[in-house]
Amino acid sequence: MKAAAQAGTPARPGGRSLPGGSDLAVRVASVIVVLVTWEFFGPSLNPAILKPPSAILAAFPVLIENGELQLALGQSLRVYAGGMTIALLAGLALGIASGRSRVIYNVIDPWVSALYSIPSVALIPVVGLALGYSGDLPRIATVALFGIFPILINTQQGVRNVDPGLLEVARAFSSSERRLWKDVVVPAALPFILAGVRLAIGRGLIGMIVAEFLIGLAGLGYLIIVYQNTFRIDRMFVPVIVVAVIGIALMGFVQFVEGRVAPWMRREQ
Amino acid sequence: MSANGTRLSVEGATKTFASGNLTVFEGLDLAVREGEAVCILGPSGCGKTTLLRCMHGLAELSGGQIVIDGAAVRSPRRNVAMVFQHFGLMPWKRVRENVSYGLELAGVPKATIAERVERYIDLVGLRGFEEAYPYALSGGMQQRVGLARALAVEPEVLLMDEPFGSLDALTREVLQDELLRIYQARPRTMVFITHSIEEAIALGDRVVVLSARPARVREILVVDIPRPRTVASVIADRRFVELRDRCWRLLRKEAA
Repeated sequence: MKAAAQAGTPARPGGRSLPGGSDLAVRVASVIVVLVTWEFFGPSLNPAILKPPSAILAAFPVLIENGELQLALGQSLRVYAGGMTIALLAGLALGIASGRSRVIYNVIDPWVSALYSIPSVALIPVVGLALGYSGDLPRIATVALFGIFPILINTQQGVRNVDPGLLEVARAFSSSERRLWKDVVVPAALPFILAGVRLAIGRGLIGMIVAEFLIGLAGLGYLIIVYQNTFRIDRMFVPVIVVAVIGIALMGFVQFVEGRVAPWMRREQ
Repeated sequence: MSANGTRLSVEGATKTFASGNLTVFEGLDLAVREGEAVCILGPSGCGKTTLLRCMHGLAELSGGQIVIDGAAVRSPRRNVAMVFQHFGLMPWKRVRENVSYGLELAGVPKATIAERVERYIDLVGLRGFEEAYPYALSGGMQQRVGLARALAVEPEVLLMDEPFGSLDALTREVLQDELLRIYQARPRTMVFITHSIEEAIALGDRVVVLSARPARVREILVVDIPRPRTVASVIADRRFVELRDRCWRLLRKEAA
């Protein structure tokens, strides 16, 4: 059996935390130091490749004005949203089904274990051969392939690992099956599911970019390749930063959702 | 309730585990009268908790039967409520929602639920904590929630599975006093599992001492210490020392 990803928010490293606000100050300082070093010392190492952050910043309006960034972003988001929706729905459905039924678990587990052990990248040629190299479909399928396993496995483990004490409480109060799911199983599995979704967000983005590299030349990934091939490193970093922002924004969104639907996880700091 | 006032009876109850190799208790007989508080005291591993689970239909007997209100117990009923050693609170429900849990499942009308929840939150001393999540409460406060949840359904029989077993000594005594107060204000049939001699004597009208595995009823002691009691008043009573020594000697033989 695979271990599910750690539920809940990760503990802060190093036990003792600095007095109020200092954590943020250190983080901001870290970013500033790296950017400043890059700005002033990077170009002196290799002016053709290491473009300073200011040049990357200046490339943003260029790519927006000629419309390339919007086009690529639209293509990418369409594919990502489609693939992640499939990953979420199928992952939840299969996770719940295999979490509650031993037979379904045994039917799908060999496949899940095998497919999850193989680096998903290795399966992209298979996706290409199966679904062709044109249109959104093969790229959507790739995103779904990358995103589904953490959601499926975490949902399954969340459903299987419900505290047996609480299941007994539900029985002792003559709970119906429907109420058992509402009161016990779903809330107990929710932190696991959300942890799976957080993992899936990052993996889905990898799937999206790699699919754009390898099949169907479109989207932010294609833009990266194009500007890499033409040595426009300043422009190449624009889609890279956009992908990072998408990832960070989605993680933040999931954490926000977690706070709303699972407020009991907000333990005292 | 039967004509002689018996609310719950255990008749030749036997429980065997694991392909018949392990008999936890055998041929247990016990009758609990309406409104009576019976404490079951026994060495660890003698199946006290299993017996209580069988009383609520959460586990099946291998032989004999348990009868409540004239009918053999097969599955949990709404007029019986249980308090768990592990508290069994839903971490995602606030105190108020945990207390209303049993009432909601019983399909009690909303207005009645609201009224009862408030009443039992007051009764167990949880006023001011209604909106708290369990993680923010101490063990003692959590078990008050467990107690309120069970009492709120106004059960005819209350089954207590070492409810204070995981609490520290001081909290434990405070809650024993609370339970005495609640019970004495409105006695309801109660079966209380414990391995604490003092607790059994303080709370029970009778104390059933079980033997080691396979457990049988070794002796039933009547606690003739008058109510209303408090833990302090019980300990101060000269009969307490006698009863404690008697229980102690009975258990000593079993503990070996």
